[in-house]
Amino acid sequence: MNELKSTSTLIPSARSEGDALVVSVSGEIDLNNSPELRGALFGLLDKSLSKRVILNLENVPYMDSSAIAVLVELLRRMGKGPNKVFLTNLQPRVRGLLEIARLNTIFVVTESEAEALAKTS
Amino acid sequence: MSTPPFNARRLETQVLSDPANLAGVRKEIEAFCAECGFDETSGNEMGLCVNEAMANVMRHAYRGAMDRPVQVVAEFEDPSMRITVRDWGERFDTTMLPKDAPRDLMKPGGVGMICLRQLMDDITFTPMDQGTQLTMTRNRMSRGRRRA
Repeated sequence: MNELKSTSTLIPSARSEGDALVVSVSGEIDLNNSPELRGALFGLLDKSLSKRVILNLENVPYMDSSAIAVLVELLRRMGKGPNKVFLTNLQPRVRGLLEIARLNTIFVVTESEAEALAKTS
Repeated sequence: MSTPPFNARRLETQVLSDPANLAGVRKEIEAFCAECGFDETSGNEMGLCVNEAMANVMRHAYRGAMDRPVQVVAEFEDPSMRITVRDWGERFDTTMLPKDAPRDLMKPGGVGMICLRQLMDDITFTPMDQGTQLTMTRNRMSRGRRRA
């Protein structure tokens, strides 16, 4: 396991574990700070060269479509294939938005980081 | 001048088109919806719709300029909430808006309009002399027009 440092307070912690980048995201995310999330997330991805990304959204009570666009861009960047981007610990509002946009079908949604890590190993 | 019904309530706010103002207006709308008797989920969904409508104004009508006015008015007359989002920017072609038809999920964009269409009972874009007014309505007992 290798701890990584993020440039943004939206990502209070991140680490490499196996071939996965595990990122904790924190805060409400809308058009005001989604560009910051995008920069920080892709910066970590560039540094880690991970093949999979696990985003722990336990501390994200709200996100809007601009944050969803960052997640979709991440998925495109990770390339084709199953089990590339995991979203864990979704709060009800975030889960609801993904369902409305029918995007819960293109991400792997798990209840915990452990469950996601088990699927990557 | 007509007298408003006894159960009518109104919230009006005007902010600059700076994305830093999105959260504050969204939370005002959510609190107003709760005050008018909407459950938390419904209030949150209308807050999201106002966020998405304002973000569209900032990105498209004002093309990222952060010093232009955005007016939001919410009026409740039991059981209906009517919310208008007004801008004085460039009009956009509403025929270009994404429809409810299946879309490529891997392409970003269009999620905001999907929220408006599915979470509100009705949305109408009205071209004004200058800019556009979006009117959104939702009944207190409704869950919007979402698919089952």
